[in-house]
Amino acid sequence: MLKKLFILIFITASIGAFGQSKFIAKNAYISFYSSTPLEDILGESNEAVTILNAETGEIGFQALMTTFHFKRALMEEHFNENYMESAKFPKARFNGKIEGFNKDMLTAPVANIKVTGLLNVHGVEKTITVPGTLGIENGKLVGTSKFKVTPEDYGIVIPAIVRDKIGKEMEVTVKANYLPFGK
Amino acid sequence: MNKILSIFFGLIFLASGNGFSQDLDELMNAELKPTVDFATATFKSTRIINGHSIEQMKENQLDFRISHRFGTLNSGLYGLFGLDESHIHFSLEYGIKDWLMLGAGRASQNKTYDGFAKVRLLRQSSGTKFMPVHLSYFTSIEIMTLKFPERPEGTSNYFSSRLAYVNQLLIARKFNENLSVQLTPTFIHRNLVKTELDQNDIYALGLGGRYKLSKRLSLNAEYYYTYNPNAKSLEPRPYNALSLGVDIETGGHVFQIMVTNSQGMREGSFIPQTTGSWADGDIHLGFNISRVFAFNKK
Repeated sequence: MLKKLFILIFITASIGAFGQSKFIAKNAYISFYSSTPLEDILGESNEAVTILNAETGEIGFQALMTTFHFKRALMEEHFNENYMESAKFPKARFNGKIEGFNKDMLTAPVANIKVTGLLNVHGVEKTITVPGTLGIENGKLVGTSKFKVTPEDYGIVIPAIVRDKIGKEMEVTVKANYLPFGK
Repeated sequence: MNKILSIFFGLIFLASGNGFSQDLDELMNAELKPTVDFATATFKSTRIINGHSIEQMKENQLDFRISHRFGTLNSGLYGLFGLDESHIHFSLEYGIKDWLMLGAGRASQNKTYDGFAKVRLLRQSSGTKFMPVHLSYFTSIEIMTLKFPERPEGTSNYFSSRLAYVNQLLIARKFNENLSVQLTPTFIHRNLVKTELDQNDIYALGLGGRYKLSKRLSLNAEYYYTYNPNAKSLEPRPYNALSLGVDIETGGHVFQIMVTNSQGMREGSFIPQTTGSWADGDIHLGFNISRVFAFNKK
Protein backbone atom coordinates (compact mmCIF):
# COMPACT_ATOMS: atom_id res chain seq x y z
CA MET A 1 0.00 0.00 0.00
CA LEU A 2 2.71 2.38 1.12
CA LYS A 3 4.88 1.31 -1.78
CA LYS A 4 2.11 2.06 -4.23
CA LEU A 5 1.65 5.46 -2.64
CA PHE A 6 5.35 6.18 -3.00
CA ILE A 7 5.29 5.23 -6.66
CA LEU A 8 2.22 7.33 -7.24
CA ILE A 9 3.79 10.36 -5.58
CA PHE A 10 7.00 9.82 -7.46
CA ILE A 11 5.22 9.66 -10.81
CA THR A 12 3.16 12.76 -10.07
CA ALA A 13 6.27 14.59 -8.98
CA SER A 14 8.21 13.61 -12.09
CA ILE A 15 5.36 14.70 -14.33
CA GLY A 16 5.43 17.95 -12.45
CA ALA A 17 9.16 18.33 -12.91
CA PHE A 18 9.72 17.07 -16.43
CA GLY A 19 6.42 17.21 -18.18
CA GLN A 20 5.82 20.90 -17.69
CA SER A 21 5.00 22.61 -20.89
CA LYS A 22 6.61 25.96 -21.49
CA PHE A 23 6.42 28.72 -24.02
CA ILE A 24 9.39 30.73 -25.15
CA ALA A 25 10.09 33.89 -27.13
CA LYS A 26 13.72 34.44 -28.09
CA ASN A 27 13.31 37.77 -29.82
CA ALA A 28 10.98 39.57 -27.48
CA TYR A 29 10.69 43.34 -27.80
CA ILE A 30 11.44 45.59 -24.84
CA SER A 31 11.64 49.35 -25.06
CA PHE A 32 11.73 52.25 -22.69
CA TYR A 33 10.69 55.72 -23.56
CA SER A 34 10.84 59.08 -21.91
CA SER A 35 9.69 62.35 -23.32
CA THR A 36 10.57 65.83 -22.15
CA PRO A 37 10.25 69.14 -23.98
CA LEU A 38 14.00 69.01 -24.59
CA GLU A 39 14.51 65.46 -25.71
CA ASP A 40 12.79 62.18 -26.46
CA ILE A 41 14.64 59.07 -25.46
CA LEU A 42 13.79 55.68 -26.91
CA GLY A 43 15.85 52.56 -26.33
CA GLU A 44 14.76 49.34 -27.99
CA SER A 45 15.84 45.73 -27.85
CA ASN A 46 14.54 42.90 -30.00
CA GLU A 47 16.72 40.31 -28.36
CA ALA A 48 15.11 39.73 -25.00
CA VAL A 49 14.37 36.15 -23.98
CA THR A 50 11.22 35.19 -22.11
CA ILE A 51 9.80 31.89 -20.90
CA LEU A 52 6.28 31.21 -19.70
CA ASN A 53 5.47 28.13 -17.68
CA ALA A 54 2.10 26.89 -18.90
CA GLU A 55 1.53 24.87 -15.72
CA THR A 56 2.19 27.47 -13.05
CA GLY A 57 1.86 30.81 -14.80
CA GLU A 58 5.41 31.71 -13.89
CA ILE A 59 6.98 34.08 -16.36
CA GLY A 60 10.56 35.25 -16.77
CA PHE A 61 12.39 37.83 -18.89
CA GLN A 62 16.08 38.44 -19.48
CA ALA A 63 17.68 41.09 -21.64
CA LEU A 64 21.30 42.09 -22.16
CA MET A 65 21.73 45.82 -21.70
CA THR A 66 23.98 46.05 -24.76
CA THR A 67 21.15 44.88 -27.02
CA PHE A 68 19.29 48.16 -26.47
CA HIS A 69 19.72 50.54 -29.37
CA PHE A 70 19.08 54.25 -29.73
CA LYS A 71 18.82 56.75 -32.52
CA ARG A 72 21.76 58.72 -31.18
CA ALA A 73 24.99 56.77 -30.87
CA LEU A 74 26.01 58.93 -27.94
CA MET A 75 22.81 58.08 -26.06
CA GLU A 76 23.60 54.43 -26.42
CA GLU A 77 27.12 55.00 -25.15
CA HIS A 78 25.90 57.02 -22.19
CA PHE A 79 23.16 54.47 -21.47
CA ASN A 80 25.75 51.72 -21.12
CA GLU A 81 28.57 53.77 -19.61
CA ASN A 82 26.92 56.27 -17.32
CA TYR A 83 23.51 54.97 -16.39
CA MET A 84 23.17 51.20 -16.60
CA GLU A 85 26.89 50.49 -16.08
CA SER A 86 26.49 47.54 -18.42
CA ALA A 87 29.99 46.22 -17.85
CA LYS A 88 29.10 45.72 -14.17
CA PHE A 89 25.43 44.84 -14.62
CA PRO A 90 25.11 43.27 -18.06
CA LYS A 91 21.58 41.94 -17.68
CA ALA A 92 18.09 43.00 -16.67
CA ARG A 93 15.85 40.24 -15.29
CA PHE A 94 12.25 39.77 -14.33
CA ASN A 95 10.91 36.69 -12.58
CA GLY A 96 7.23 36.75 -11.83
CA LYS A 97 3.93 35.02 -11.81
CA ILE A 98 0.64 35.72 -13.53
CA GLU A 99 -2.00 36.48 -10.91
CA GLY A 100 -4.95 34.08 -10.85
CA PHE A 101 -3.38 31.98 -13.58
CA ASN A 102 -5.22 29.13 -15.24
CA LYS A 103 -4.31 27.22 -18.37
CA ASP A 104 -7.29 28.50 -20.29
CA MET A 105 -5.58 31.89 -20.47
CA LEU A 106 -3.16 30.40 -22.98
CA THR A 107 -5.82 29.35 -25.45
CA ALA A 108 -8.34 32.16 -24.97
CA PRO A 109 -8.39 35.42 -26.93
CA VAL A 110 -6.22 38.24 -25.61
CA ALA A 111 -7.31 39.37 -22.16
CA ASN A 112 -5.95 41.60 -19.43
CA ILE A 113 -3.68 40.07 -16.81
CA LYS A 114 -1.59 41.18 -13.88
CA VAL A 115 1.91 39.97 -13.22
CA THR A 116 3.77 40.28 -9.94
CA GLY A 117 7.44 39.55 -9.58
CA LEU A 118 10.98 40.69 -9.03
CA LEU A 119 12.51 43.17 -11.46
CA ASN A 120 16.28 43.29 -11.34
CA VAL A 121 17.85 46.26 -13.12
CA HIS A 122 21.27 47.82 -12.51
CA GLY A 123 21.85 45.25 -9.76
CA VAL A 124 18.84 46.45 -7.75
CA GLU A 125 15.88 44.13 -7.19
CA LYS A 126 12.34 45.35 -6.58
CA THR A 127 8.96 43.69 -6.41
CA ILE A 128 6.58 45.14 -8.96
CA THR A 129 3.07 44.42 -10.15
CA VAL A 130 2.39 45.35 -13.74
CA PRO A 131 -0.63 45.16 -16.03
CA GLY A 132 -0.46 43.28 -19.29
CA THR A 133 -2.32 41.21 -21.81
CA LEU A 134 -2.03 37.57 -22.73
CA GLY A 135 -3.84 35.36 -25.19
CA ILE A 136 -4.17 34.14 -28.74
CA GLU A 137 -3.79 36.71 -31.47
CA ASN A 138 -3.75 35.54 -35.11
CA GLY A 139 -3.27 31.98 -33.93
CA LYS A 140 -0.25 32.80 -31.77
CA LEU A 141 0.23 33.24 -28.06
CA VAL A 142 1.09 36.88 -27.50
CA GLY A 143 1.98 38.66 -24.28
CA THR A 144 2.32 42.42 -23.85
CA SER A 145 2.82 44.85 -21.04
CA LYS A 146 3.22 48.55 -20.52
CA PHE A 147 4.32 50.02 -17.23
CA LYS A 148 6.42 52.77 -15.70
CA VAL A 149 9.65 52.56 -13.79
CA THR A 150 11.58 55.27 -12.01
CA PRO A 151 15.34 55.08 -12.70
CA GLU A 152 16.16 56.39 -9.21
CA ASP A 153 14.44 53.35 -7.67
CA TYR A 154 17.13 51.20 -9.24
CA GLY A 155 20.07 53.29 -8.10
CA ILE A 156 20.45 55.00 -11.47
CA VAL A 157 21.64 58.52 -10.78
CA ILE A 158 20.71 61.25 -13.24
CA PRO A 159 22.82 64.36 -12.73
CA ALA A 160 21.24 67.80 -12.50
CA ILE A 161 22.78 68.94 -15.79
CA VAL A 162 20.78 66.44 -17.87
CA ARG A 163 17.82 66.19 -15.48
CA ASP A 164 15.62 68.23 -17.82
CA LYS A 165 16.31 65.92 -20.74
CA ILE A 166 15.50 62.61 -19.07
CA GLY A 167 12.00 61.92 -17.82
CA LYS A 168 11.37 61.15 -14.15
CA GLU A 169 9.71 57.95 -15.27
CA MET A 170 10.46 55.60 -18.13
CA GLU A 171 7.60 53.94 -19.93
CA VAL A 172 8.51 50.33 -20.54
CA THR A 173 6.83 48.41 -23.35
CA VAL A 174 7.10 44.65 -23.67
CA LYS A 175 5.88 42.44 -26.48
CA ALA A 176 6.51 38.74 -26.92
CA ASN A 177 5.26 36.22 -29.46
CA TYR A 178 5.48 32.89 -27.68
CA LEU A 179 6.15 29.54 -29.28
CA PRO A 180 6.00 26.14 -27.58
CA PHE A 181 9.36 25.44 -25.98
CA GLY A 182 11.62 22.81 -27.51
CA LYS A 183 9.59 22.30 -30.65
CA MET B 1 7.76 5.19 9.01
CA ASN B 2 5.63 8.28 9.27
CA LYS B 3 8.75 10.32 9.75
CA ILE B 4 10.36 9.00 6.58
CA LEU B 5 7.13 9.60 4.74
CA SER B 6 6.98 13.24 5.81
CA ILE B 7 10.62 13.80 4.85
CA PHE B 8 9.89 12.27 1.49
CA PHE B 9 6.85 14.48 1.03
CA GLY B 10 8.85 17.46 2.17
CA LEU B 11 11.60 16.76 -0.36
CA ILE B 12 9.18 16.41 -3.23
CA PHE B 13 7.43 19.58 -2.17
CA LEU B 14 10.75 21.42 -2.04
CA ALA B 15 11.88 20.04 -5.38
CA SER B 16 8.73 20.95 -7.25
CA GLY B 17 8.13 24.23 -5.48
CA ASN B 18 11.63 25.65 -5.59
CA GLY B 19 13.09 23.95 -8.62
CA PHE B 20 11.14 25.67 -11.27
CA SER B 21 12.21 29.28 -11.00
CA GLN B 22 15.84 28.26 -11.13
CA ASP B 23 15.07 26.04 -14.03
CA LEU B 24 13.42 29.01 -15.74
CA ASP B 25 16.47 31.17 -15.11
CA GLU B 26 18.80 28.51 -16.44
CA LEU B 27 16.70 28.02 -19.55
CA MET B 28 16.78 31.72 -20.26
CA ASN B 29 20.51 31.92 -19.57
CA ALA B 30 21.01 29.21 -22.14
CA GLU B 31 18.86 31.00 -24.69
CA LEU B 32 20.58 34.38 -24.41
CA LYS B 33 23.05 34.43 -27.24
CA PRO B 34 26.68 34.81 -26.23
CA THR B 35 27.88 38.16 -27.51
CA VAL B 36 31.06 39.85 -28.62
CA ASP B 37 31.61 42.56 -26.04
CA PHE B 38 33.32 45.49 -27.68
CA ALA B 39 35.15 47.95 -25.48
CA THR B 40 33.20 51.17 -25.93
CA ALA B 41 33.94 54.71 -24.79
CA THR B 42 37.68 54.08 -24.58
CA PHE B 43 37.97 57.85 -24.72
CA LYS B 44 35.21 60.41 -24.26
CA SER B 45 36.10 62.30 -27.40
CA THR B 46 37.67 61.86 -30.81
CA ARG B 47 40.72 63.74 -29.45
CA ILE B 48 42.78 62.79 -26.43
CA ILE B 49 43.87 66.43 -26.15
CA ASN B 50 45.52 67.69 -29.35
CA GLY B 51 45.91 64.41 -31.18
CA HIS B 52 43.25 61.99 -32.35
CA SER B 53 42.02 59.14 -30.19
CA ILE B 54 40.65 55.88 -31.59
CA GLU B 55 37.12 57.17 -31.02
CA GLN B 56 35.21 58.23 -34.07
CA MET B 57 31.71 59.30 -35.03
CA LYS B 58 29.28 56.46 -35.68
CA GLU B 59 27.37 56.31 -38.95
CA ASN B 60 25.36 59.48 -39.70
CA GLN B 61 26.60 61.35 -36.65
CA LEU B 62 28.12 64.78 -37.13
CA ASP B 63 30.59 66.32 -34.73
CA PHE B 64 31.03 70.09 -34.77
CA ARG B 65 34.20 71.03 -32.95
CA ILE B 66 35.58 74.39 -31.89
CA SER B 67 38.98 74.59 -30.25
CA HIS B 68 40.93 77.49 -28.84
CA ARG B 69 44.48 77.85 -27.58
CA PHE B 70 45.33 81.07 -25.82
CA GLY B 71 48.70 82.77 -25.50
CA THR B 72 51.32 81.79 -22.96
CA LEU B 73 50.81 81.97 -19.21
CA ASN B 74 54.20 83.66 -18.88
CA SER B 75 52.98 86.69 -20.82
CA GLY B 76 51.91 87.85 -17.37
CA LEU B 77 49.24 90.34 -16.45
CA TYR B 78 50.21 92.47 -19.47
CA GLY B 79 48.86 89.73 -21.76
CA LEU B 80 46.26 88.62 -19.20
CA PHE B 81 48.19 85.35 -18.88
CA GLY B 82 47.68 84.56 -22.52
CA LEU B 83 43.97 85.33 -22.81
CA ASP B 84 44.68 88.38 -25.01
CA GLU B 85 45.73 86.09 -27.81
CA SER B 86 43.81 83.18 -29.19
CA HIS B 87 44.18 80.66 -31.97
CA ILE B 88 41.13 78.84 -33.23
CA HIS B 89 40.52 75.59 -35.03
CA PHE B 90 37.08 74.48 -36.05
CA SER B 91 35.97 71.44 -37.93
CA LEU B 92 33.05 69.34 -39.10
CA GLU B 93 33.56 65.62 -38.76
CA TYR B 94 31.14 63.01 -40.02
CA GLY B 95 30.71 59.27 -39.64
CA ILE B 96 30.16 57.88 -43.15
CA LYS B 97 30.14 54.38 -41.69
CA ASP B 98 30.78 53.18 -38.18
CA TRP B 99 34.34 52.40 -39.33
CA LEU B 100 34.98 55.48 -41.47
CA MET B 101 35.02 59.11 -40.41
CA LEU B 102 35.84 62.05 -42.65
CA GLY B 103 36.44 65.59 -41.49
CA ALA B 104 37.52 69.00 -42.63
CA GLY B 105 38.72 71.91 -40.59
CA ARG B 106 40.46 75.21 -40.59
CA ALA B 107 43.02 76.63 -38.21
CA SER B 108 43.83 80.30 -37.83
CA GLN B 109 47.48 79.43 -37.21
CA ASN B 110 49.19 79.79 -40.62
CA LYS B 111 45.68 79.93 -42.14
CA THR B 112 45.67 76.17 -42.55
CA TYR B 113 42.90 73.97 -43.96
CA ASP B 114 42.91 70.27 -43.23
CA GLY B 115 41.02 67.25 -44.47
CA PHE B 116 41.27 63.88 -42.77
CA ALA B 117 40.07 60.31 -42.74
CA LYS B 118 40.03 57.94 -39.80
CA VAL B 119 39.50 54.26 -40.49
CA ARG B 120 38.80 51.70 -37.80
CA LEU B 121 40.68 48.48 -38.43
CA LEU B 122 40.28 46.51 -35.20
CA ARG B 123 38.11 46.85 -32.13
CA GLN B 124 39.06 45.70 -28.68
CA SER B 125 36.66 42.99 -27.60
CA SER B 126 36.04 40.18 -25.18
CA GLY B 127 33.30 37.57 -24.99
CA THR B 128 33.04 35.26 -27.98
CA LYS B 129 35.80 37.16 -29.82
CA PHE B 130 38.99 38.28 -28.14
CA MET B 131 40.96 41.27 -29.38
CA PRO B 132 43.34 43.00 -26.99
CA VAL B 133 43.51 46.44 -28.65
CA HIS B 134 41.76 48.95 -30.83
CA LEU B 135 43.60 49.80 -34.04
CA SER B 136 42.79 52.70 -36.36
CA TYR B 137 44.54 54.48 -39.18
CA PHE B 138 44.49 58.24 -39.39
CA THR B 139 45.61 60.30 -42.35
CA SER B 140 45.29 63.97 -43.15
CA ILE B 141 46.41 66.59 -45.62
CA GLU B 142 47.08 70.11 -44.40
CA ILE B 143 47.09 73.08 -46.72
CA MET B 144 48.82 76.20 -45.49
CA THR B 145 47.36 79.26 -47.20
CA LEU B 146 49.52 82.12 -45.90
CA LYS B 147 50.64 84.41 -48.70
CA PHE B 148 54.02 83.37 -50.08
CA PRO B 149 56.83 85.80 -49.40
CA GLU B 150 58.23 87.77 -52.35
CA ARG B 151 60.62 85.65 -54.38
CA PRO B 152 63.61 86.70 -56.47
CA GLU B 153 63.01 87.27 -60.21
CA GLY B 154 62.91 84.08 -62.22
CA THR B 155 61.79 81.76 -59.39
CA SER B 156 58.24 80.75 -58.59
CA ASN B 157 56.10 79.32 -55.81
CA TYR B 158 54.21 76.07 -56.15
CA PHE B 159 50.91 75.03 -54.62
CA SER B 160 52.50 71.75 -53.57
CA SER B 161 54.78 73.71 -51.29
CA ARG B 162 51.77 74.39 -49.11
CA LEU B 163 51.02 70.75 -48.39
CA ALA B 164 51.87 68.48 -45.49
CA TYR B 165 50.79 64.85 -45.03
CA VAL B 166 50.11 63.10 -41.74
CA ASN B 167 49.92 59.34 -41.20
CA GLN B 168 49.21 57.77 -37.83
CA LEU B 169 48.44 54.38 -36.42
CA LEU B 170 46.25 54.64 -33.36
CA ILE B 171 46.70 51.69 -31.01
CA ALA B 172 44.64 51.85 -27.84
CA ARG B 173 43.56 49.65 -25.02
CA LYS B 174 40.87 50.22 -22.45
CA PHE B 175 42.44 48.46 -19.48
CA ASN B 176 39.40 48.90 -17.27
CA GLU B 177 36.43 51.19 -16.83
CA ASN B 178 38.72 54.06 -15.83
CA LEU B 179 42.07 53.64 -17.52
CA SER B 180 42.69 53.80 -21.27
CA VAL B 181 46.08 54.19 -22.95
CA GLN B 182 46.98 54.91 -26.56
CA LEU B 183 50.20 54.66 -28.55
CA THR B 184 50.37 56.68 -31.74
CA PRO B 185 53.26 56.07 -34.14
CA THR B 186 53.32 59.02 -36.51
CA PHE B 187 54.92 59.90 -39.83
CA ILE B 188 54.61 63.43 -41.20
CA HIS B 189 55.90 64.65 -44.53
CA ARG B 190 56.10 68.36 -45.27
CA ASN B 191 56.72 69.30 -48.89
CA LEU B 192 58.45 72.53 -48.00
CA VAL B 193 60.17 73.53 -44.78
CA LYS B 194 61.63 76.87 -43.75
CA THR B 195 65.33 76.11 -43.81
CA GLU B 196 67.68 73.35 -44.86
CA LEU B 197 68.07 72.38 -41.23
CA ASP B 198 64.35 71.64 -40.85
CA GLN B 199 63.15 68.12 -41.47
CA ASN B 200 60.78 67.28 -44.30
CA ASP B 201 60.05 63.87 -42.82
CA ILE B 202 59.20 63.68 -39.16
CA TYR B 203 58.92 60.47 -37.15
CA ALA B 204 57.19 60.69 -33.82
CA LEU B 205 55.50 58.54 -31.20
CA GLY B 206 52.52 59.73 -29.23
CA LEU B 207 51.63 58.41 -25.81
CA GLY B 208 48.25 59.35 -24.44
CA GLY B 209 45.89 58.23 -21.76
CA ARG B 210 42.87 59.02 -19.73
CA TYR B 211 41.79 58.21 -16.23
CA LYS B 212 38.16 58.60 -15.31
CA LEU B 213 37.67 60.46 -12.05
CA SER B 214 33.89 60.09 -12.23
CA LYS B 215 31.38 59.04 -14.85
CA ARG B 216 31.48 62.44 -16.51
CA LEU B 217 34.95 63.69 -15.70
CA SER B 218 38.29 62.34 -16.81
CA LEU B 219 41.90 63.37 -16.52
CA ASN B 220 43.87 63.20 -19.77
CA ALA B 221 47.55 63.41 -20.66
CA GLU B 222 49.29 63.34 -24.00
CA TYR B 223 52.94 63.45 -25.03
CA TYR B 224 54.40 63.35 -28.52
CA TYR B 225 58.05 62.37 -28.75
CA THR B 226 59.77 63.39 -31.98
CA TYR B 227 62.67 61.17 -33.08
CA ASN B 228 64.19 63.65 -35.50
CA PRO B 229 63.18 67.14 -34.44
CA ASN B 230 64.22 70.26 -36.27
CA ALA B 231 67.71 71.47 -35.44
CA LYS B 232 67.96 72.75 -31.87
CA SER B 233 70.12 75.61 -33.06
CA LEU B 234 67.20 77.17 -34.85
CA GLU B 235 65.05 79.88 -33.34
CA PRO B 236 62.46 79.19 -32.14
CA ARG B 237 63.70 75.90 -30.69
CA PRO B 238 61.51 72.83 -31.19
CA TYR B 239 60.10 70.99 -28.18
CA ASN B 240 58.03 67.85 -27.74
CA ALA B 241 54.38 68.57 -27.12
CA LEU B 242 53.12 67.76 -23.64
CA SER B 243 49.51 68.40 -22.71
CA LEU B 244 47.41 67.83 -19.61
CA GLY B 245 43.69 68.22 -19.54
CA VAL B 246 40.27 67.23 -18.30
CA ASP B 247 37.23 66.01 -20.24
CA ILE B 248 33.84 67.10 -18.98
CA GLU B 249 30.89 65.39 -20.55
CA THR B 250 27.37 66.83 -20.42
CA GLY B 251 24.97 64.83 -22.57
CA GLY B 252 25.61 65.79 -26.20
CA HIS B 253 28.65 67.97 -25.44
CA VAL B 254 32.18 67.17 -24.42
CA PHE B 255 34.31 70.00 -23.06
CA GLN B 256 38.04 69.47 -22.99
CA ILE B 257 40.08 71.97 -21.05
CA MET B 258 43.85 71.71 -21.16
CA VAL B 259 47.24 73.24 -20.54
CA THR B 260 49.82 72.56 -23.22
CA ASN B 261 53.10 73.90 -24.51
CA SER B 262 51.78 73.74 -28.05
CA GLN B 263 49.61 76.33 -29.70
CA GLY B 264 48.92 74.22 -32.77
CA MET B 265 45.91 71.91 -32.89
CA ARG B 266 46.72 69.81 -35.93
CA GLU B 267 49.24 67.01 -36.13
CA GLY B 268 51.35 68.86 -38.73
CA SER B 269 51.61 71.72 -36.30
CA PHE B 270 51.88 70.48 -32.74
CA ILE B 271 54.17 67.54 -33.49
CA PRO B 272 56.98 69.22 -35.49
CA GLN B 273 56.34 72.87 -34.64
CA THR B 274 55.82 73.11 -30.90
CA THR B 275 58.13 75.88 -29.76
CA GLY B 276 56.91 76.44 -26.23
CA SER B 277 58.84 75.10 -23.26
CA TRP B 278 57.11 73.97 -20.06
CA ALA B 279 60.22 74.92 -18.10
CA ASP B 280 60.07 78.50 -19.37
CA GLY B 281 56.36 78.80 -18.69
CA ASP B 282 55.32 78.82 -22.35
CA ILE B 283 52.10 77.15 -21.35
CA HIS B 284 48.87 77.71 -23.21
CA LEU B 285 45.46 77.37 -21.70
CA GLY B 286 42.94 75.99 -24.17
CA PHE B 287 39.70 74.16 -24.74
CA ASN B 288 37.96 71.93 -27.26
CA ILE B 289 34.18 71.84 -27.49
CA SER B 290 32.45 69.00 -29.26
CA ARG B 291 28.77 68.98 -30.14
CA VAL B 292 27.32 65.89 -31.77
CA PHE B 293 24.28 65.88 -34.05
CA ALA B 294 22.50 62.70 -35.14
CA PHE B 295 21.26 62.45 -38.71
CA ASN B 296 19.99 58.90 -38.84
CA LYS B 297 16.32 58.39 -39.50
CA LYS B 298 14.52 55.82 -37.44
